[in-house]
Amino acid sequence: MTVLLETRNVSKSYGEFRALDQVTMAVREGELVSVVGPNGAGKTTLVNLLTGLLEPTAGEVLFRGNNIAGVGPVALADHGLARAFQLIQIFPQLTVRETIAAAVVSRQKKRWRILARLSSDAGIDARVAEVADIFGLGPRLDTVAAALSQGEKKLLDVASAFALDPQVILLDEPTSGVSTSDKHGIMKTLIAAAKRAGVKAIVLVEHDMDLVAAYSHRIIALSEGQVLADLPPDRFFADTHLIETVIGRRRGH
Amino acid sequence: MKGPLAVALLGTVAFALLPYIVPAYYVGLMIPFFGYAIALLGFNLLFGYTGLLSFGHAMFLGIGAYGAAVMTGLGFKSFELMLVVVILASVAIALPIGLLCVRYVGIFFGMLTLAFGMLFHSFLFKFYYVTGGDSGTRVARMKILGLEFAKYNKIEFLAGPFYYYCLGLLIIGGFLMWRIVHSPFGLHLRTIRDNARKAEYLGVHVHRFRLAAFVISAAFGAVGGAILGFRVGLADPELVYWTQSGQLVFMAVLGGFANFFGPIVGALSYILLQDQLQSLTQYWRFVLGAILALIVIAFPQGIAGLAVQLKRLVAGRPA
Amino acid sequence: MSAFANILAGGVFHAAVLFLVAAGLQLVFGVQKIVNLACGSFYALGAYFGITFIGYASQYGVSPWLILPGLILSGILLGFIGPPIERLLRTVYSRDGSFQLLLTFALVLMFQDVFKFIWGANPRSLDSAYLIYGTISAGDFSMPVYNLLVILAAIATAAGLGAFLQGTNYGRILRATAENRGMAEALGVDVRRIYSAVFTLGAVLGTTAGALVVPTSAASLDMAIEFVVEAFAVVVIGGLGSMRGALIGAAIVGLIRALSIVFFPEFEVIAIYVIVIGVLIFRPAGLFGRALA
Repeated sequence: MTVLLETRNVSKSYGEFRALDQVTMAVREGELVSVVGPNGAGKTTLVNLLTGLLEPTAGEVLFRGNNIAGVGPVALADHGLARAFQLIQIFPQLTVRETIAAAVVSRQKKRWRILARLSSDAGIDARVAEVADIFGLGPRLDTVAAALSQGEKKLLDVASAFALDPQVILLDEPTSGVSTSDKHGIMKTLIAAAKRAGVKAIVLVEHDMDLVAAYSHRIIALSEGQVLADLPPDRFFADTHLIETVIGRRRGH
Repeated sequence: MKGPLAVALLGTVAFALLPYIVPAYYVGLMIPFFGYAIALLGFNLLFGYTGLLSFGHAMFLGIGAYGAAVMTGLGFKSFELMLVVVILASVAIALPIGLLCVRYVGIFFGMLTLAFGMLFHSFLFKFYYVTGGDSGTRVARMKILGLEFAKYNKIEFLAGPFYYYCLGLLIIGGFLMWRIVHSPFGLHLRTIRDNARKAEYLGVHVHRFRLAAFVISAAFGAVGGAILGFRVGLADPELVYWTQSGQLVFMAVLGGFANFFGPIVGALSYILLQDQLQSLTQYWRFVLGAILALIVIAFPQGIAGLAVQLKRLVAGRPA
Repeated sequence: MSAFANILAGGVFHAAVLFLVAAGLQLVFGVQKIVNLACGSFYALGAYFGITFIGYASQYGVSPWLILPGLILSGILLGFIGPPIERLLRTVYSRDGSFQLLLTFALVLMFQDVFKFIWGANPRSLDSAYLIYGTISAGDFSMPVYNLLVILAAIATAAGLGAFLQGTNYGRILRATAENRGMAEALGVDVRRIYSAVFTLGAVLGTTAGALVVPTSAASLDMAIEFVVEAFAVVVIGGLGSMRGALIGAAIVGLIRALSIVFFPEFEVIAIYVIVIGVLIFRPAGLFGRALA
């Protein structure tokens, strides 16, 4: 399968401190790859490198063969890589429709249309309705984002990222702050939405091992800046030593 | 689109009929209103829609007024040509300044724009052989739409043909700004205002668009300033002092910067308020200051915002 | 050459006064995150009141030797306006910074007419009573001792503020509140009283600076508005929120003015703005501040 997003021997140092050391990993089409590891293992640094926020001290970060080292969020969106954050980010004064439309405008390259009427653009409207539908936000299209419930805000946050039509989406702890009973529901919605939206691969950063076990095709474990393991779930969870290092205790099935 | 269109039509009709209803004195007050209203439409694109508070915006009004003075000084009498020139000049000056300023937000943006505004003020003072320094430069009478209107004296001209000309300019400016604000570009500006970081992740070019908003607002400011300068017949450095920029902000907040018509309402209210207060007391600045304080503390939504809330209340919907 | 020395001395005096106002601005910004456009108004208030105060004092036969302490006292007396104004500003703390800025602008407008009402539209000045302290001369160079005393007072204030902020418990509490208000509150700090005290201190620094300056220049309506720009220049160059920045920034601005008068008289004011813009572009945090943008 084609490799969509990868790092080749990437290292990142902050002065003396090596946050990442020779990390090589790849995300292929059709995969959901989880990145796990204790705090301080380098997950955030890796994610920031993968999403063009940082430049590596050494090595390459490639998206579909293109070097995306340090390109920044805007170029990233143009390349087809989207990122959804742990902390909910919304536009408080914009409606659901407008929030999603903002991403669609970027995607359809209509951003410099200074005198065109946004409301009469059928192309944008159709796509906004489509995306809202996927996330069950259809009935809330004209609600102002600040008035949404926490769950709806989270959905909107992710929906707007999906509206970019990304090839790869990076989900940063998407279920944090969500009650345990809802977590699986959210994950299933996200994965189904990704499929419907035509997303080709997902990178998931998660602490919750149940979710990681249930939905990943592969799990990449980081520890102290290095790749400890890059395995499918069944082999990953069979290795008790590995589990101990990653989450610090033995995990029973 | 029904509501705003109705407001615009009503407003146009009201202003068109004004000279026949109201004493000539008040008609005379309307010219500065038109000037400030146009300038404020631009200012609010930057403030209300993009979230950048500039404390140096008066400099673009100055470019308009001094541009008019320079043009008439050079013998050009066409108002339209002058407008084109001042728009180009303001864009040319706004581009480098904006490029520097839009990388910063909040108080830093405010201070940078204040510094540039005062820098411009100093230039106007220092280069007095061009600008007339302290006393300013004359703006002579001009032709609008190629017509001289020679048989009108200045006052008649201002209350007559020029009044309708400015009303026309405001309508055109308002229409343009309405389209800008309701365009995909305008949507991206609002995302920048609400959450610039998230906007980036949605593919919004934050710096570029802030710069675009800055430049557009400068152009509107120049047109407004040209009207002001022409009306007074003088371009003078006081127009550019930082307190004048503060006055622009005052007008925007008074009218309600979260509403499209807010700035226009603000300009009108301020002009009328100032006029009435000046005839009542020599301490009108105190009263204006107190009103500004009241608005900031208790009515930040401004007059337009209050009107909208009232309308909702009357219609039985939650505010 | 002595003309140069005279101008330089004038620059140092100006810097001393600027420092006092800037220190007040920095305190208020550092702790409360408010940018006070009315700092110039406090300055003017101090100037006007200083003139009135000294006027009364000499009427009642107070010795002209006491003019310096008298002016300082008049500045401090005005501190009573601090708490009520802070209460007013308190209403918009939770809102966007632009509202706070606007509220202080409203104060500027109101103060202008207060000055006009109490002291009239014409500039006021003290007679040259301050010369009672004599002048220092060395050849063609001469400086009133009064000016030297003011400079010393400013340095003493700087040292005092530094010692206070770094060395005392209250100073530590102030710095903690500036750093992290929520944390300070959680630790039991009465943030409201701190804000009131800090704002009052800032106001007093401003009014005292204005009072101290009136022997050498007149108090006028324009004073309040013109001074703001210079005070802001100091704060930007030195770095928002930094005391050291206030000192160094004031020194730089005072010096630049003096140097421009000597070398580029045309560009005296322009030089300051260019430096401000330069600092904001290349080092937006100023020389000692922490970056906020």
